[in-house]
Amino acid sequence: MEKTEILASMNKIWRDELDNEAITITESSTANDIEEWDSLSNIQLVVATEKLFKIRFNSAEIAQFKNVGEMIDCIKAKIG
Amino acid sequence: MLFNSINFLIFFPVVVAIYFLLPHRIRWLWLLGMSCVFYMAFVPVYIFILGFTIVIDYFAGILIEKFTGKPRKLMLLVSLCANIGVLAVFKYYNFITENINQIFSSFRYPNEIPLLDMLLPIGLSFHTFQAMSYIIEVYRGNQNAEKHFGIYALYVMFFPQLVAGPIERPQNLLPQFKEKKYFEADNVLSGLQQMLWGFFKKVVIADRLALYVDSVFINHTEYGALNLSIAALFFTLQIYADFSGYSDIALGTARILGFNLMVNFDRPLISKSITEFWRRWHISLSSWFNDYLFQPLMISTRNWAMAGAGFSLLFTFFLAGLWHGAGWTFIIYGIIHGSALTYEFYTRKWRKRWSKKINASVYNSVSILLTFCFVSMALIFFRAPSVEIAFEIIVQIFHSTKAIIFSWQVGSGELTFNAFSWLVIIISLPILFIAEKYMDVKTFHPANFKNCNVYFGILLLTLILTCGIFNQTSFIYFQF
Repeated sequence: MEKTEILASMNKIWRDELDNEAITITESSTANDIEEWDSLSNIQLVVATEKLFKIRFNSAEIAQFKNVGEMIDCIKAKIG
Repeated sequence: MLFNSINFLIFFPVVVAIYFLLPHRIRWLWLLGMSCVFYMAFVPVYIFILGFTIVIDYFAGILIEKFTGKPRKLMLLVSLCANIGVLAVFKYYNFITENINQIFSSFRYPNEIPLLDMLLPIGLSFHTFQAMSYIIEVYRGNQNAEKHFGIYALYVMFFPQLVAGPIERPQNLLPQFKEKKYFEADNVLSGLQQMLWGFFKKVVIADRLALYVDSVFINHTEYGALNLSIAALFFTLQIYADFSGYSDIALGTARILGFNLMVNFDRPLISKSITEFWRRWHISLSSWFNDYLFQPLMISTRNWAMAGAGFSLLFTFFLAGLWHGAGWTFIIYGIIHGSALTYEFYTRKWRKRWSKKINASVYNSVSILLTFCFVSMALIFFRAPSVEIAFEIIVQIFHSTKAIIFSWQVGSGELTFNAFSWLVIIISLPILFIAEKYMDVKTFHPANFKNCNVYFGILLLTLILTCGIFNQTSFIYFQF
């Protein structure tokens, strides 16, 4: 799966989970850029992402993600 | 040493003058020495507690960086146990023992575990949390271990934030001790202005409101619903003015020396929800709990479906309540907030849709009002001497037989909250809210200094000198 496809799927998750159709995420997006994305909703986004791609991040990986791009790299490495 | 004492008025200019006269390479020693003097003005012998945790954490930090695998984890545990152990002994031992004795006596077990007779070391919860932040950041690989023992000791003991925060992070504070600082007029002016603003909040607003709050809380059975409600609302304003005033003085003091500490309050009393309140109130503590407890809990309970968030919130706020003090009142205070955050989390989508159907300014105003009232209700537990009395006060507010009885003047003798006090509060509260809304009093950054002109400084100084209360009342958060 290409990075752009992963990003498009993640964008849908972000819109659904954060209940805002206007959200568009890029690889450089962080929680600071999106109002609804906070320390509470963060884990919901992670869980929904894990479910969609049928993968599992470990705790250290989740704690280290600095932006959407790093998450995509991690997903790509896991799904091959 | 209290910021609002004559001693500090002499101490601080001397510290600043000699600090800038000394060469850069020995300034750390001067700051460390003066931080010891500052701390030892309270209970001198307690400096050994600080020394004990500083030595353990200093070596633990270096070893954590050196080791991998299990020994690395072991050093983290040793350090955390030492810090939490010191807290447990000096802050929670009597509380835990009293509760165990109570359980024993209910089973008619004759022996009692003896209690310890000692004073709580000042600022203990603040500097142990700051030390734990260092150790966890080194363990997570986000911070290099500090090799210079004196600089590490100064990180824990830096006097502007030693006794009541802000609870700093090593990434922000440690590098600043190594930078060469210059005497800069901008820093001195904005630092002084922020100190003045903090003193205004403390001696004009907080200590004045305390006259009302203390009188009503001590004799709560004497007062009707209206007086009790005003006391509860006043306490919210008092604790905000007291604690954020302290933080302003701490930030101002540090800035004069050339240091930038983190912003601890971002106008929390105009929050539209409890979730927002905790993003704006005592930010250095709420972000500590978020980074080191709440997020790891959320990650490890993420497959409990919706229950994980509720559990993580309640557990985090249970401990955050307990952080404030060893008592059931603080635990309940924490749980009330944890429950509100859980409710807000589960209803967030529903509330968002609802808010779109209502006029925005009406929705926002009602939200601010409700949040303020809720925070005030929870703070009754924070202020009341026991859980029973807190419940009595709340019941009296809603079911008082003295609902109509109201007195403008409360208290007696020198501690009377009289017509003059009302006047002071009516004048100073709008100054507080308007100034914090329109000016960048939050950061007092030199670039924004022109906003806070000299006339404002003169107005504050006049209010402090004419309306301030100078009985050197300790800051509320010094007891934690």
